[in-house]
Amino acid sequence: MTSLQTLRDTVVTAEASAVVNLTRRRRGSHLRDNRTAYLMLAPMVVLLAIFVFWPLVYSIYLSAFEVSFYEEPVFVGMQFYQYVLESPGFWNAIGVGLRFALIVVPLQMIFGFVIASVIKGLGRRLAGFMKTTVYVPTVVSAVIASIVFVFMYRADGGLINWLLSLVGTGPFAFISDPLLALPAIAVPAIWLVTGITALIMLAGMLDIPESYYEAAELEGARFLQKTFYITIPLMKNVLLFLLVTGFVGALQQFELPLVMTQGGPVNATMTPNLFIFNQFKDPTPYATSFSITAALLLFVVLGTISALIFRLVKSDKAIDG
Amino acid sequence: MTSTPLFRAARLALVALIAISALLPLAWMLIAGFKGKNEVLRSPFQFFPEIWIVDNYASILQDPQFLMAMGVTFLGAVIFTVLSLTVNSFAAYAFARLDFRGKRFWWLYCITPMFIPAMAILLTSFVVVSNLGMLNTLAVLIIPGVAAAAQMFFIRQFYLNMPVAIEEAALIDGASRWKIFTTIFLPQSQGPFVVVGVASYLAYWNAYVWPILTIQDPNLFQIMQYLGNFRSDRGNEWGLLMAGSTLAALPTIALLLVFQRYIVNGVRLAGMK
Repeated sequence: MTSLQTLRDTVVTAEASAVVNLTRRRRGSHLRDNRTAYLMLAPMVVLLAIFVFWPLVYSIYLSAFEVSFYEEPVFVGMQFYQYVLESPGFWNAIGVGLRFALIVVPLQMIFGFVIASVIKGLGRRLAGFMKTTVYVPTVVSAVIASIVFVFMYRADGGLINWLLSLVGTGPFAFISDPLLALPAIAVPAIWLVTGITALIMLAGMLDIPESYYEAAELEGARFLQKTFYITIPLMKNVLLFLLVTGFVGALQQFELPLVMTQGGPVNATMTPNLFIFNQFKDPTPYATSFSITAALLLFVVLGTISALIFRLVKSDKAIDG
Repeated sequence: MTSTPLFRAARLALVALIAISALLPLAWMLIAGFKGKNEVLRSPFQFFPEIWIVDNYASILQDPQFLMAMGVTFLGAVIFTVLSLTVNSFAAYAFARLDFRGKRFWWLYCITPMFIPAMAILLTSFVVVSNLGMLNTLAVLIIPGVAAAAQMFFIRQFYLNMPVAIEEAALIDGASRWKIFTTIFLPQSQGPFVVVGVASYLAYWNAYVWPILTIQDPNLFQIMQYLGNFRSDRGNEWGLLMAGSTLAALPTIALLLVFQRYIVNGVRLAGMK
């Protein structure tokens, strides 16, 4: 089955043998394990308390108070939640985020799938070379990708408009055109994530027993039939996992519009995270509470989605399905 | 497999197309660094420079700010990676191999941060580190990200799969848990440590938003911050910017090439989280 299955099996076996191991041990060692365990956990627990849970609790606190530099914080309850939900800027950002994800995720999945299929069919050496090659963009930072693509997009002297001129269209002012700006920043986003998507898909593909394909070939199945009747159904979990994590990731895109367009033109690339970030830096009073509330609202949803995928991936239902 | 010559030719063409799409932006960046001052934006577009010059690379390497940023970022990334591996592997071992009171609670406590999106706490994290007096120090760049749930989880998966027999034998011989961890588990951990370590290093090296929020001291500018500032302040020196970006991308690409086998195999586990 899938690697999820094997992963789960090994985890279960390891946990089972750990239990046997525990019951075998004398009672006295329990105390020693307690102390060792707490000492080994302490650095992680303390760091998370200071740098994750404190900020989180503080966010929730701030979202219920009006904070300004001049006065004591005033408790306002859910008022900021109402402000955020009534703010056109917030809904514009959600819309931009969704449109962005709708461009990035399907293309990332399709390209990833094609690349994985191609690599799977290659000989060992070429496959090894290609795995590294497609991974290269993944290790490059969003800032460098932004800088490079801004220059490649130039209407005058840019690589992309030159390529388009070869097929007789253009030039386009990609990142200053409100209609084209969002697709334009989607391209580097796809470029940055497709490699890792492809490699995860490849790992899933390699877990499908070769005998399935051999049997199908005896029946006269062609490449497309094998893809649609064997590969895709057996990779359902991996694909679902990538789809949802890809979606959550795309919705949080932030650095590309920050460096490439600063959210413009006319807020066409104002993704939710960038909107929140800009609100925070806004000098007007209460901007802090507003942006923090917006962040919480948005990310309760995203956090829930991630937790659900995690459960789904680990649950039996996902594995048998 | 269908191996008609036509099929193989088509596949090879596809392989070439994929490789080119992956590498073209970087190749263009590298080559643009060799162009003269006004040549980067020459219209009509030309991929290769008329005359190859090394001035951009030579002068960015003489810019003390650039060198400082590369050096400080490298130092921070190395410290960050070491600390991160230490803290996360300790916790991973405790969760994988020890039984202790409150284990379920602490497991939830340590794993929950995986589901908290960075932006939800970014702004208040800024307030917290500023209250702690950490702004404009190397510590603010390093410490807050050290404890990482996903990395702890990844190492724990690996430790769960280690055979129990060796550990039992060591316990019977009277070895302490700590000794077992350092002499049996750590030496066996290169695989997951490389995957997690490279991920830590990349996350630190490529970070942009946290540095621009917390660092104003030019001596502590991080490399991506330097490039971002360069683009807005000195954006007309394009060749220089391309040379700088190329040099800033090199350490990450080199890391990938050196550890590619581990990383590509690691994807298998990492993808499943």
